[in-house]
Amino acid sequence: MLVDFEQIQKAKAGDDAAFNQVVLAYRKRILGTIARLIGRPEDVEDVAQEVFLRLYYSLDQLRTPEVFEPWLYRLTVNASYDYLRKQRRRNESRMSDLSEQQVMMADAAAGGKVSNEDRRRKQVKELVESLLGAVSEQDRILLTLKEVEGLSLKELEKIYSVNENALKVRLFRARQRVLNAFEATRASTNKPAGRKD
Amino acid sequence: MDQFNDELNGLFASYKAALPDVEASANFMPELWRRIEGRRSILLRIKKLTQVFLAAAAAISIVFVTMLSVPAFSPSDVRANYVEVLADAYPTETLASHGILPRDTSEVNAK
Repeated sequence: MLVDFEQIQKAKAGDDAAFNQVVLAYRKRILGTIARLIGRPEDVEDVAQEVFLRLYYSLDQLRTPEVFEPWLYRLTVNASYDYLRKQRRRNESRMSDLSEQQVMMADAAAGGKVSNEDRRRKQVKELVESLLGAVSEQDRILLTLKEVEGLSLKELEKIYSVNENALKVRLFRARQRVLNAFEATRASTNKPAGRKD
Repeated sequence: MDQFNDELNGLFASYKAALPDVEASANFMPELWRRIEGRRSILLRIKKLTQVFLAAAAAISIVFVTMLSVPAFSPSDVRANYVEVLADAYPTETLASHGILPRDTSEVNAK
């Protein structure tokens, strides 16, 4: 816990200064989690504010301060999930607005002067995001929380309110889908150029 | 498949390392409180509207209850015809004093 139970109790009772302290304590962690879940740095703050806004208006429903962290994670997951759904709808129209030349120019501008290390990081980021983009939003969020955020099964159980076995099955299936996408990506990149199957 | 599994684990680890820490901008907290206040004013407006609606519903209920509790016309009033109502309003004595009717009905009979 990044804050003591008393602080959470005070915030729950309507103490705005205590709520401020809770936000300041968890802000960085929540921003990092959202950044990994949604993959769009420019919208991370907006989603994080939505999380804390939901926290402010639902804090009175928190039964005990012990479950505060899983509960905050659940709010984070829900807000990220809502964002991804909205974004998917928006992207459908946004991409069609750009001409091919504009897309190429944007790519060229983004990949200007970068170091080798930066390029490698960018490649890893793009590859993982394309793999996670090949599965559903639920799978993407679940795998990110487990594999990237490093949450334990116990923590995930509390966030998703499901038992361990059901969670293991969901995780296994999500991972299988990502592995299939990974295999397909590898097969396409290893294929010799110019050869048609 | 195992090879892909291991590679995927490595890839996730590299991905985590590749993502920079996200720092909040200076505007984060003021913007958050602005949103909280904005939502609060909407909730207050909804609460006021609900109160007005409840007060109006209570007033209408009182009006209906009052209307239902006012005693209805007695059945005899409804059954009385025009002549009976007229006879009640103008008794024979009054008509006789005005000379419309004879004072003594025996006079009429004698004639």
